[in-house]
Amino acid sequence: MKETPRQGIARSYQKWLALLVLLCFMAATVFLWVTQTQLSEKSAVDLMRLNISDVRQDISDASDENLLTLTHQIAAEVTSLATVNSSMLKVLSYRFDVAEINLIDETGIIIATTHDDFLNYDMASGTQSAEFLVLLDGETEFAQSYQPTSHDPTLYRKYGGVALESGGFLQVGYDFQRYRRDVNSVLRGVTRNRHVGEGGCIIIADSNWNIVSDRHGNEWEQLSITGLQIDPALTPPNHCFQSTVYGVDSYCMYIEAEGYYAVAVMPQHEAVLSRNVSVGTTLLVELVVFAALFVLVYILTKRLIVNNLEKINGSLSQISSGNLEAVVDVRTHREFSTLSDDINATVDTLKRYISDAEARIDAELEFARTIQYSSLPSVFPPFPSRRDFDIWAGMYTAKEVGGDFYDFYLLNEETLAFLVADVSGKGIPAAMFMMSAKSVLKSLAESGMPIEEVFIQANEKLCEGNDTGMFLTAWMGFLNTTTGHLRFVNAGHNPPVIRRNNEDFTYLKSRSGLPLAGMEGVRYRPHELQLAPGDTIFLYTDGVTESSNIQEAFYGEGRLLDVLNENACSGAEALCGAVKTDLDAFVGDAEQFDDITLLSVTFHGKPAPLELVLDATVENIETVTDFVTAQLEEAGCPMRVQMQLCVAIDELFGNIARYAYPNGIGQATVQLLLSKNPGMAEITFIDQGIPFNPLTLAEPDTTLSAEERSIGGLGIHLVKKTMDDVIYVYREDRNILTIRKRF
Amino acid sequence: MKLTMNKTGASLEAKVAERLDTTTAPQFEKELSAQLEGVTELILDFAELSYVSSAGLRVLLSTQKVMNKQGKMILRHVNENIMEVFEITGFVDILTIEE
Repeated sequence: MKETPRQGIARSYQKWLALLVLLCFMAATVFLWVTQTQLSEKSAVDLMRLNISDVRQDISDASDENLLTLTHQIAAEVTSLATVNSSMLKVLSYRFDVAEINLIDETGIIIATTHDDFLNYDMASGTQSAEFLVLLDGETEFAQSYQPTSHDPTLYRKYGGVALESGGFLQVGYDFQRYRRDVNSVLRGVTRNRHVGEGGCIIIADSNWNIVSDRHGNEWEQLSITGLQIDPALTPPNHCFQSTVYGVDSYCMYIEAEGYYAVAVMPQHEAVLSRNVSVGTTLLVELVVFAALFVLVYILTKRLIVNNLEKINGSLSQISSGNLEAVVDVRTHREFSTLSDDINATVDTLKRYISDAEARIDAELEFARTIQYSSLPSVFPPFPSRRDFDIWAGMYTAKEVGGDFYDFYLLNEETLAFLVADVSGKGIPAAMFMMSAKSVLKSLAESGMPIEEVFIQANEKLCEGNDTGMFLTAWMGFLNTTTGHLRFVNAGHNPPVIRRNNEDFTYLKSRSGLPLAGMEGVRYRPHELQLAPGDTIFLYTDGVTESSNIQEAFYGEGRLLDVLNENACSGAEALCGAVKTDLDAFVGDAEQFDDITLLSVTFHGKPAPLELVLDATVENIETVTDFVTAQLEEAGCPMRVQMQLCVAIDELFGNIARYAYPNGIGQATVQLLLSKNPGMAEITFIDQGIPFNPLTLAEPDTTLSAEERSIGGLGIHLVKKTMDDVIYVYREDRNILTIRKRF
Repeated sequence: MKLTMNKTGASLEAKVAERLDTTTAPQFEKELSAQLEGVTELILDFAELSYVSSAGLRVLLSTQKVMNKQGKMILRHVNENIMEVFEITGFVDILTIEE
């Protein structure tokens, strides 16, 4: 499974949203900052420009007024004169301490002047002088700014003119020194009460950057004392620049006016105050707006997407944990509706596939179960002719194929092997292991070795290549059906229940070995027990005692003992049936989780046969035949079977009479065992003559013609063909031949 | 074993009763062979015979061989037990059995 990212969508969204909002916020702040800075600078510049132009006007007004007053006084003097000539004007110029006086007639020609070379100069011929022509057009006075003259551009003068009543006008010009003297005193007051903004000021300096007027009282000092250093070549007039003035970082601007420099100074902190306030306020508002936006988007995301996704995830985790009946049903939006439908459709498809697969697996398991069942002895009664014991076994598998099994078989005429085993685990692997274990045990047991050796060798064989680590518990017994002697070995299996001498059933506790296939090299000890006729031993697997009902209570060993005791006198089949019925009643509707296997053996022993001991002579055949037929008659044996038995007696006893004792007459014993239901006759011929197994005689050829036929071997052939069993053993110096015939 | 014989010219009819086994076969053989001289048709009536063992079969075989030379031998009224024995041993192919 892939590693699950720890971060949810909401958290991711939150992160990116916060980042975006922060970026927007910062961009807006920077933009605002820049624009507000520009705005504040502009307003500072505007303010300075306004103030500075006022100052320029003040300077101009002051100098104009000064000059025009002087000009009017001179004009009054001139008007009072009868005639005016240049010399008279020179007198006046000395008197009034002006640099130049010109009298211009109605046509704009200088008709009298303090400077002779200006005589007859046409005012219209220079741009500077031409400005004065307005006085001929009705203006009464005109003052010109301080500037180079038209006549001599190196010469700076300030001119004023007054129209004369007699026509023409009088022009007065004064030079720098006179102009300064007059104007400086006026300008001293100009800056005193003038503020640029709150803390800014105006400084007026002359053309040599000597302070003329300054609120701080630094008149006649160099401008640099304030901290300002202005080089007109680098810093053009009428442009804003920054400098430290009187220790304060300030915006500054200067202009030239009438030969003076007016410098406006505005502290920067004042200029940016409005910007800071405006940016601060806006930031606060933005902060609120963005926070609200962030919260809104987050909530919407959470409600519309994350919550729905969580609902879908809830259903999906139910589905993935096995509840395929869970349905995804989120219908708030079209997209979720489609998603829900798609998931449901997928789950439906999955369900269909699963049920198909289940059906297939069920069929295969059923097949496996059938094979498993068919490998167990299932025909009951398994040994119908045997009266010396009664055996019945049953296995009831749980839904899954399991690893329980039982088995029983005759190792020889009088040894019954029977076992019950339980393989660890369930399913096909357990079933396969069970088949292997069953055949290993059977082949070892049938090879004739003692029971403990069977387990020791089976353990070795089953340990080989047991990579899956499976093992099985098993209880196996070899019962001598004649003597009732039982030898058994327990490999970790539940103790069987035994009933002896008509007493109650009890658990047969014995020292148990390790389960088979658990570990190599394990030794198993045999246990021995002598059974009396009527004793019963009941084997089972833990599926019996550990069956649980709906209340999850175990069936338990006590209940098993009870039901066995209640049915103590039943036959093997009835006993197993009673246990199963009781178990079913206890379990009720609860599911069967484990296989249930039952096996019951009751030892009856052989009844004492009717015995006839007599000389082995041909004459005695009739005695034997009469003895047997009398008993058969009483047992209700059909005539046909009686005749077959008579033929067999004639052949077998006849053989003993003729061949067993070649050196005289010996004795023979004839034993007869009869049972009525089902009818069965067992006759055993015992002699102490020469060992001879008639069953080894060659079969006669029954197809030859009369001339070719010999008679040898026909008798035994007849017996074998007509009897159900013919068994020969040589034991304790005796030929023992047994025939059985069911009827 | 009881043997009742009735000879008519060259034809001999022998009725066998009870059983033909190890004990009785030698007597049967002895009594029958004494009468077989010049017989061309031997009829053995087994109506009263209950069973035949291999000793009886041996006598029947030897008699059949004699009669094969002199004439014929016919078995009558063979019960199912004896018939089964004849079938098992292949004697049905050697003997002539009539109903």
